[in-house]
Amino acid sequence: MIPLINFLVVAFMLIGLGAYGMIVKRNLIRILIGAEIMGNGVNIALVAFALYSDVFSYTAQGLVILVISVAAAHTAVALVLMLMFNKRYGTVDLGQPVDTEE
Amino acid sequence: MRLFVDFVPVLIWALLAIALVIIMLLASWVLRPHVLQNSEKLSTYECGEEPIGPARITYPYNYLVYTVLFVVVDVMGAFLWLLAASSLRTSEAVVWQTLIFVVIIMVGIGFVMKMLPQAFLDGKETLQLYREAKAAQEKAVETHGR
Amino acid sequence: MGGNAMQTEIEFLIDLFEQVEFFLIAGLVLILAYLALEHKDIVYAVFFFGFMASMCAGFFLLLDAPFIAGMQIAVYTGGISALMIFGVLLLPRAQDSSLEVIQSPLARKIGLRLSVVVMGISAAMALIFPWPETVPEGAPELSQSLEGLAVWLWGTHGIYVQIIALILLTSLVGAIAILKMEKAESFESIIGEFGIEADPTLDDEVEPETVDDVELDAVDAPAEVAEE
Repeated sequence: MIPLINFLVVAFMLIGLGAYGMIVKRNLIRILIGAEIMGNGVNIALVAFALYSDVFSYTAQGLVILVISVAAAHTAVALVLMLMFNKRYGTVDLGQPVDTEE
Repeated sequence: MRLFVDFVPVLIWALLAIALVIIMLLASWVLRPHVLQNSEKLSTYECGEEPIGPARITYPYNYLVYTVLFVVVDVMGAFLWLLAASSLRTSEAVVWQTLIFVVIIMVGIGFVMKMLPQAFLDGKETLQLYREAKAAQEKAVETHGR
Repeated sequence: MGGNAMQTEIEFLIDLFEQVEFFLIAGLVLILAYLALEHKDIVYAVFFFGFMASMCAGFFLLLDAPFIAGMQIAVYTGGISALMIFGVLLLPRAQDSSLEVIQSPLARKIGLRLSVVVMGISAAMALIFPWPETVPEGAPELSQSLEGLAVWLWGTHGIYVQIIALILLTSLVGAIAILKMEKAESFESIIGEFGIEADPTLDDEVEPETVDDVELDAVDAPAEVAEE
């Protein structure tokens, strides 16, 4: 039987990696990848808590289904917004100073 | 916990698939002739003409829209898979809820299909944009060469 | 008896196998996540992310959630990863490897400390409450778990499904609307059904009459009013 703390450690490390990717990176696609890694970590933590509980109920697994669907929808809109950003500013880099014309 | 033991055949199959791909790539690397590559060999092929600059014009957005449509239908399919694998698929109230769910998503897909030709550049507009880009590039070459 | 010793030995082997599997998958997931964030080439990074999503499905299988594992592979690896690869291919400037990390090391250090703080806060909030060590006896069998989850989602909490339908509808409409408005801004000679219009100044060689006639037949009054 694998103790719960193992799963939680992996989940928290994924959350930390996702947060690192969203804060430090400049490329927009990497920020999106960081957000998705964080979502995966949260899902693992949720399902781990669903299994290791006193009374088994499917609440956490249902919540994970909702989180996965919402992540899919928001990734689509985020990519379309990134395309518009690229068309407007010519780059996908957040570090360069964006000139505010018009 | 016995679930993972049930999926060991899947793991073995996945390892075999990875090994097969690696063996095929290695075999082709071993068997092909290793000649030196120069920059002319590695450049992109454009039917004999000189390539005008980077071949990366970003107007084919409809591929992205189709992929977004696929993701939405995929999520819908996952929900319907859950329903179909249970005993609730014959209960009346759940069938009505499924109908509402599918109809809402179909409204979205219908909207996308209707508005898709207006969301990207079609042939005439692409031709005009290409002509403008080529004229601007020729003007830049002229002023640069002078 | 001999059968009993054999039974416990098999169970011990299965337990050991599970521990080994857990550490293997955990190591792979963390290595792939690090590579997905740090590799210079964006296309490789997105592919590593897709691979990592498949490995996380292995985690869900270890946690007795077969439906979540299947949905993870179908939606994350098959959908979101493909979507990101399309986005990377449509964004040529994203493939430059020169723009990776914030240049000043001070900002990088602050970012690292901040991510450690985020990790610590989430860990503290999760571990404050006491959690049991073992799987309870009420954990369902494999053949029943899809049934139980379906009853939870479609039966008692059926409203969540309609909420997800509305969210997906919103994302579809939003994607198309953003593309359409962007096209209407950047290219002048468009007559659309949302009333975004301008003077049709096409080339003489491009046959403006057919385009205008087709569009004007669809939109009568506002086009004529705004065309003066």
